[in-house]
Amino acid sequence: MGTNVAADALSNLASPGVIGGALIVVGEDYGEGASVIQERTQAYALKSSVWLMDPRPSLPTIVRCTEKAFELSEATNTPVMMELRIRACHVTGEFTAKDNKPPAISRNNRLAQPAAHDYDRISHPPSTYAHEKKKVEVRQPAAERFIVEHGLNEFLPGERSDLGIIVQGGITNVLVRGLDRLEIEGRIPTLVLNVTHPLVPDQIADFCKGKRAVLVVEEGAPDYIEQAIHVLLRKRDIDTKIYGKDVLPMAGEYTAEVVTEGLLKFFAQSANDIDLSKPRERFEAARAGRAEAQRLLGGPLPLRPPGFCVGCPERPVFSAIKLLEREVGKVHISSDIGCHSFATLAPFNLGNSILGFGMSLAAAGAVAPVMQKRTISVMGDGGFWHNGLLSGVASSMFNRGDRVLVIMQNGYTSATGAQFIPNTSGNRRDGETTSDIAATLKAMGVGWLRTIRTYNVGTMLKTLREAMSTDDKGLKVIVADGECQLARQRRIRPQIAAQLKRGERVVRTRYGVDDEVCTGDHSCIRLSGCPSLVVKPSPDPLRSDPVASVNNGCVGCGLCGEVADAAVLCPSFYKADIVQNASWWDRLKWRVRSAVIARLAHGEMSA
Amino acid sequence: MPKPVTILVGALGGDGGGVLCDWIVAAAQSTGLAVQATQIPGVAQRTGATTYYLEVMPRGAQASSVLALNPAIGEVDVALATELLEAGRMIFNGFVTPDRTTLIASTHRVLAIGERSAMGDGSFDVGRLLRAVKERSKEQILFDMDQAAEESGGVINAVLLGALAGSGKLPIPDAAFEAAIRHAGKSIDTNLAAFAFGRGHARGELEQAVREHRKRQAAVQGAEDLIERARKSFPAASLDVVEEGIRRLTAYQDRKYASLYLDRLEGLPADLVRDVARHLAVRMSFEDVIRVAQAKTSAERMARVRKEVRAKEHEPLEITEHFKPGNEEIAALLPPSLARWLLRQRPFHISMHVRSTTVWGFLRLRLLAGLRWWRPHSFRHVEEQAEIERWLGQIRAAVPLGGDLAREIAELARLIKGYGDTYKRGLGNYRRISDEVIAPALAGRLTARAAADAVANARVAALADPEGESLSRTLTAIASATPPLKQAAE
Repeated sequence: MGTNVAADALSNLASPGVIGGALIVVGEDYGEGASVIQERTQAYALKSSVWLMDPRPSLPTIVRCTEKAFELSEATNTPVMMELRIRACHVTGEFTAKDNKPPAISRNNRLAQPAAHDYDRISHPPSTYAHEKKKVEVRQPAAERFIVEHGLNEFLPGERSDLGIIVQGGITNVLVRGLDRLEIEGRIPTLVLNVTHPLVPDQIADFCKGKRAVLVVEEGAPDYIEQAIHVLLRKRDIDTKIYGKDVLPMAGEYTAEVVTEGLLKFFAQSANDIDLSKPRERFEAARAGRAEAQRLLGGPLPLRPPGFCVGCPERPVFSAIKLLEREVGKVHISSDIGCHSFATLAPFNLGNSILGFGMSLAAAGAVAPVMQKRTISVMGDGGFWHNGLLSGVASSMFNRGDRVLVIMQNGYTSATGAQFIPNTSGNRRDGETTSDIAATLKAMGVGWLRTIRTYNVGTMLKTLREAMSTDDKGLKVIVADGECQLARQRRIRPQIAAQLKRGERVVRTRYGVDDEVCTGDHSCIRLSGCPSLVVKPSPDPLRSDPVASVNNGCVGCGLCGEVADAAVLCPSFYKADIVQNASWWDRLKWRVRSAVIARLAHGEMSA
Repeated sequence: MPKPVTILVGALGGDGGGVLCDWIVAAAQSTGLAVQATQIPGVAQRTGATTYYLEVMPRGAQASSVLALNPAIGEVDVALATELLEAGRMIFNGFVTPDRTTLIASTHRVLAIGERSAMGDGSFDVGRLLRAVKERSKEQILFDMDQAAEESGGVINAVLLGALAGSGKLPIPDAAFEAAIRHAGKSIDTNLAAFAFGRGHARGELEQAVREHRKRQAAVQGAEDLIERARKSFPAASLDVVEEGIRRLTAYQDRKYASLYLDRLEGLPADLVRDVARHLAVRMSFEDVIRVAQAKTSAERMARVRKEVRAKEHEPLEITEHFKPGNEEIAALLPPSLARWLLRQRPFHISMHVRSTTVWGFLRLRLLAGLRWWRPHSFRHVEEQAEIERWLGQIRAAVPLGGDLAREIAELARLIKGYGDTYKRGLGNYRRISDEVIAPALAGRLTARAAADAVANARVAALADPEGESLSRTLTAIASATPPLKQAAE
C-alpha cells in the first residue's frame, strides 16, 4: 500500500524504533508509469524520522543498498525505506548473488517467550517524549556515521574541482547520460546520494567547499534536499552558489530531455568556459525535428487510455449506468480506486471524483445532502474490505445516508494483479471462502441489498432505476457479481485445453456482428468499449462508414448482445456456439438441420 | 565511453512486448553482450499503450558503463512497433529520427477507442502516419505483422523479433534469438515459425499479398435489361454504383422497384448521378425486419459466420440471433392506418433470441423474409418513399442554384441509418437540417454556396456526438449568420 495509507503505522513503528532490521520498499514515480497521485516519500521520511534510500538504478548497487539498508536499520534502531522508480523496478540486468542465510527467528525457528515487556518501547506517553529526543540525539547521528563509514553515498571524481553536482541516486543514470550527451561525462565531480535522509552535513559541506557552483538534481516537489543544503552551507559560511530548481523544473519527471536542458542552463550560468555549442546544437536539432514530426502528423494522435479487459464483468455495470443517465439525466458518481476507475475514461466518461481506496461512499457523504438526485458510489471488493466497510457503509448507515452503493464483486484486487481477498471464492484459493460481502452487509444492518450478475445489463438497469427511485431512505447496495475475467481466463484456459486434449466435448462461445445488417453507427462501441469490439471497412459497395466487428479476442461474455438488447440498438449481433469434440448426436443433429436449412434457403432463392 | 545500441519498443497491452524484451535480453546475454532492459508496462489490464527500452553494449564493452533507463529524443537506434499508430507515437515524441533510427513496424491499425466510437468513420489518417514514418526515420522495415502472425500461426511479438533479427541492426546471430525462444519454452514451434516469417519479410525474402478488403456485390438474376437501360442513360463513371443499386433493389424487392430506382435517377445532371445513385439505393433498401430476415437467412451467410468465428470443418455451430422488435418495428410492417393506431398505444419491446441454426428458428426468419411481397403496402415503405421524394425534390430544386448544394443535400442522407433509437436520432437530425438549413436556402434566404457549407457543417456536427449538442450549436450559429432579407418596399 502507499505511504499515505501506511502513515499511522510508519509513525508508530518509527517512534519506539526497531531492534532487528526493518526495510520498507516504496515505489515513487512522476512520469508515465505513475498510476496514482504523486507525493514525495521524502516528506514521510522526514516527518516520521525514517531513513530513506534512493539507490542508483544499477542492479549491483540496488542489491548492495538493500543489504546495507538492513544493517543501517539495525545499527540505528530505525526503520529504513528504499525508494524505487518504476523503470528501476522493471529493470533487467546482472548482479552477483550471495548465498541465502536462514534467519535466526522464523516460522521454523520460533521464540519460546514473547519479548520482555518494556514500556519504553510502547509508542505511548511518556515513552514517546523519550523517543522524540532519541530520534534526533542518538539515532540520526548514528545513521550519519554509518552512511559515511560504509560509503553508502558514492563520489564520482572529475577534474573540474570548481564545479559539482549532487544527485539523488535514482536519477544518476539520467544525469550521467546527460553529461555524456554534453561530452563532459567524467569531468564534473558528482556526489551520488543513495541515502537522501538523513543527509550527512559534513559530507555535503566538504563536497561543496571551494566550489564555485554546485547543481542539486532532485526530482519532485518541494525541494527538501536543496533547501537543507542551502541551510547547512549558510550555517557554515560556505558561499558556494547552489543551483537546482531554478535551472530544473520544480515538478514532474526528470527525463533525459529535462535533465539535459537543466545541465545546459547550469553550465551556461556557472561555467561559460566550457564550450557546449555543438551538443546544444544537436539537442536543439532533435527538438526541432520533433516539432517537424508533429507538424507532419498534424497531431495530437488518438490516445490509448487503459480500459476494461475483454469480457470484464465491471464494464456492463457502466453500460447500465450510461443507459440509466439517458432516462434520469446526469447523476453524481463517486468513483474509487481499482479497475472500475477506468470508467472515468472513454468511452464511458463516468465519475465525478476519486477520493481514495474504498472511499467512494464516504466521499459521497459530502455531496449527497446537496444533490436533488441520489448519488451513486462505485467501489471494488478490494476497496470494500480495505476501507469501504467502515468509513463507507458503517458511517453512511450511522449518519442515515440516503445513497446508492455499487460494489464490484469480482473476487480479487484485480488492478494490482488479481491478489486474493476475503471474499475470493474458496475453490480459487485454498478451499475456503473466508468472508462473504452480502452476509457482512446484512450483519451491518443494510436493508436494501441486491446481488446481480453483472452481465445482465437489463436487470442491472432495472435495479439501478429502483435504487434511485425507491422510497427506502437508507443505504441501497447493489453487489455486482462477476469474476475478474483476466483471472477467470487464467484459471479455465488450462482446464479447457486439458479437456480438449482428452477429447471431451467443449462448447466455445463467442459473439459476432452481421456486417450486412450493421450500418456503422457504433452505438454498441460507445456503450461498451470492449477491446474485441472493433470496426472494419463496410463490405457494402454503397456505404462508406466502417461497420462493427468482433475480433478473435472475444471470450463470449455476451455483453455486446446484452447491450444491443437493453439499449434496443440493432439486430446485428449473434451468438455462436461452436461444439468442439462433438458427439455423434451433435453431428447428426447438425447434419440434418444443415440439410433442411440449405433446402429452405435455396427454395426461397429460386422462388 | 562505448555507445550502446538503443532500442525503443512501442506495443499495445497484450501484444507480448514484455516477452519480446525478455527474448532480446536472453539473446544478447547468450551472445556475451552487456544488456539492460526496462519497461512502462501499464496496468494489469490488457489495454492501453506500453513502452519498453533496451540498451545493448557492443562486443567487449563492460556492463559497468552506465546504461540509461529512459530513452532520449534523437538517440534511438532501433524503434520497434507492433502497430502503426504506436510507431507514429514514437515519431511524435521525437524518439525516431531520420539521422539515426531504423523503424521496424507493423503497418496494420488497431483503432483506439476514440476512433472506434465515432459515429461515422473516426480513424486517424493512415496517409499521414505513413508519410511521417517514411520522412522521419532513417530506414524502415514495414509490413503487416498481424497478417504475418496469422499466416505463420504465431503471435506478433515473435514476428517482430524475427524482423529485428532480419534487420541485422544488433550484433546478435539469428541462432541466439531462436535459442532464446526455445529457452523460454512456451509455444516454441509457432513462435519459431513466426520468427522465421518476420525475418524473411525483413530480408525481403518473403512477399506479402496485401490483405485488401473486398466489397460484396449483391447477387441476382433477371435484372440484365435494367442494367442495359442504365448503361444507355447514365454516365459511365456512375455505372458501377447504379448497377449495384439495381442488383440490390431487385434482390431487396423486385424488378419493378429497381426500375423505379432508375426513373428517380433520370434527368439528374451527369456529375450528380453517382452520389445520388449511391444514397438513393441505400435509402430505398431501408432496414426493416424483412431485410434483416433476408440477410440472416441468405445462402452465403452460414459460410461467412463459420469463417469469422473460426469454426473448424465438422465442428457443429449453433447461432443465436439477438432481436428486440418493438411497436415501431411491428407498425412498420402494418398497413398505414393500423400502424398509426399502434404507434399511439403505449410503446413496448419483445426480447427475442432466435436460434437460426435450428429448423424452426430458420423457418421463422425465412417466413419473415418471405413477406417481401407485402412490403410495398407497409407503413414504413409508404413513409420512406415520401421522405425519398421530398429529398429528391430538394436535390432537383438545388441543381439550378449550383451543384455543391445539391451534392451536399444528397450527402446528407448519410445521417439516416440504423435501427430503433439510432434510426430515429439520425432521421431527426436529418429533418432538423432539412427544415432549418435546406428549406431556407431553397427559399433563397441563403446563398447556394453558404448553404452548401452550412449543410456540410451541420452533417459533420450531427455525427460529432449522439446527444446532438454540437448540431444544436452549429444550427444556432448558421441561423444567426443568415442575413435578414428586406421585404420589397412596393
